[in-house]
Amino acid sequence: MSAVLYVIGLGLMTCGVVLLLIAALGVWSLPSAVSRLHALTKADSAGLSLIALGAACVNGRLDALLALVLCAVLVALSGATMGHLIARSHVSEDEPE
Amino acid sequence: MTPDFIYIFAGAGLVGLAMYRLATRRDMLLRVLALNFLAIGVAMILQASAFGETLTDAVPQAFVLTGIVVLVGVTAALLALAEQIDGHDDE
Amino acid sequence: MSMAFDILLALGIVFTAGTALGLRDRIASVTGFVITGLLIALSFVRLGAPDVALAEAAIGAGLTGALLLRSALRLKPAEGSKSPALQRFLAASIATGLSCALAWAVYTAPGTALYPALVSEGLAKSGVDNPVTAVLLNFRVWDTLLEIVVLFAALVLVRIIAPAVPQPEALGELMLPFMRVIIPVCVFLSGHLLWQGATVPGGAFQAGAMLAGGFLVLFMGGLALPTPRVMAFGKALALAGLAIFALAALATEALTGTLLFYPDGDEKIWIIAIESALTLSIAAMLYLLFCGMPRRPAK
Repeated sequence: MSAVLYVIGLGLMTCGVVLLLIAALGVWSLPSAVSRLHALTKADSAGLSLIALGAACVNGRLDALLALVLCAVLVALSGATMGHLIARSHVSEDEPE
Repeated sequence: MTPDFIYIFAGAGLVGLAMYRLATRRDMLLRVLALNFLAIGVAMILQASAFGETLTDAVPQAFVLTGIVVLVGVTAALLALAEQIDGHDDE
Repeated sequence: MSMAFDILLALGIVFTAGTALGLRDRIASVTGFVITGLLIALSFVRLGAPDVALAEAAIGAGLTGALLLRSALRLKPAEGSKSPALQRFLAASIATGLSCALAWAVYTAPGTALYPALVSEGLAKSGVDNPVTAVLLNFRVWDTLLEIVVLFAALVLVRIIAPAVPQPEALGELMLPFMRVIIPVCVFLSGHLLWQGATVPGGAFQAGAMLAGGFLVLFMGGLALPTPRVMAFGKALALAGLAIFALAALATEALTGTLLFYPDGDEKIWIIAIESALTLSIAAMLYLLFCGMPRRPAK
C-alpha cells in the first residue's frame, strides 16, 4: 500500500513541476503583463497544489497532509488576490482606450 | 563532500557583487539594497560554517537570526534617512 | 546527487542577486531582492537551519521587501551618470579580491567547534528542547535583549525623522474577503509558531514577523491606518516588550543573584513569558517601522 502511495506521490509531484515549468515559460514569452499574469496564477497554484498533494502521499502521515493542504490553500488564496490586484492596476492604466 | 562550502562561495559571491554595486552607483535605494545583500551574504557564510553532519551548531544560528532582525531595523532607519535627504534636495 | 541541487541553488542565488543589483528599474530590483531572499531561505533549509530559514523568508525577504517597495515609490531616482571606467575597474578588482579572500579564509579556517558539545550538555537544564531557542532565550539571552534595544533605537530614529505615512489606495472588492481569511490565519499561525518554538523550529521572531504581516495586510486594506489611537496602541505594545524584558532581567537579578540567570525548575515559564511579550512587541515595532510615525501637527 505504501509503495503504491509513494509512486502516486512521485507522479503527482512530477506533474506539479511540469506545470510550474510551463508557468515559467509563459512568463518568459508571453507579450503583455495581463497575459503573463494569467499563465502565472493558473499554473502556479495548480502546480503547487499538485506538489503538495504528492509530498503528502510520499510522506504518508496525516499531520503532514494537513500542514501541506494549509500551505497550498494559503498560496492559492494569496496568489488569486495578488493576481486580481495586479490586473486591476494594469487595466486602469489602459483606461483611455 | 559536504554542501556547506558551496554556500560559502555563494555568500562570498554575494558580498563581492554587493561591494561592487556600493562603489559604482549613486542611487540611494540601490545602495540600501546592496547593503542588504552584503549583510545576508555574510549571514550565509556564517550559517554555512555552522553546518555539521548530524547536528548543526546552534550558536551561529542564533547569531544569524539576530543579524536578520537587526538588518530589518537598520534598513527601515536608513530608508527613513534616505527619504529625508531626498526631501531636502528639493528645497 | 543532492550536491547537484546545492550547486544549482547557489548559482541561482548569485545569478538573481547579480540581476537584482544590475537592473535599472527599481521595482524590478526589489522583486529580484525578494526572490534572492527566498532562495537563500531555501539554502538555509539545506544547511540544516529551519528556524533561520523561517526568519529569513518572513523578515529578510517579506518585510524588508515591503519596506524597500514603499520607498522605491517615494524616492526620486538618481541621475544616471555612469562612473568612470577606472573607478569601475578598481571597484571590481577590489570586490573580487575581497570576496575570494573571504571565501578562502572561511574555507581553510582550522579548529574544532566548541559550542555543539556545550549546547547539548546544557540543553536538558535549559527548559526547552529546541537548541536555537535555548541559545536565544537562555544561554545568550543578553544578546537578545540588546537586539530588542537595537530595534527600539531604529524606531526612535524613525520617530525623530517622521517620514510621511504611506497612503494605501482603495484596493477593490476582493480585499475584504481576503482579509477575512488571512488575518485569523495569521493570528493562529503566529501563536502556533510561538508555542512550538520550544520543541521544533519556530520561536518569537518568526511569530512576531507573521503577526506584523497580518498588521500590514490590515493597513493595505485601509483598516489599520495610523490614526492617533492606533499609534498610541502600537507604541504601547512596542514599549511593553522592551519593558517586560528589562523587568524580567532585573527580577532574575533579584531572585538568583546573577543577571538573566533563571531560577531552577522555572526556566520554561520565564522563557515563554518573555517570548510572548517579544512576539507582540516585535509585531508592533515592525508595523510602526513600516508606517512611519507622524508627529502631531504643531499647534
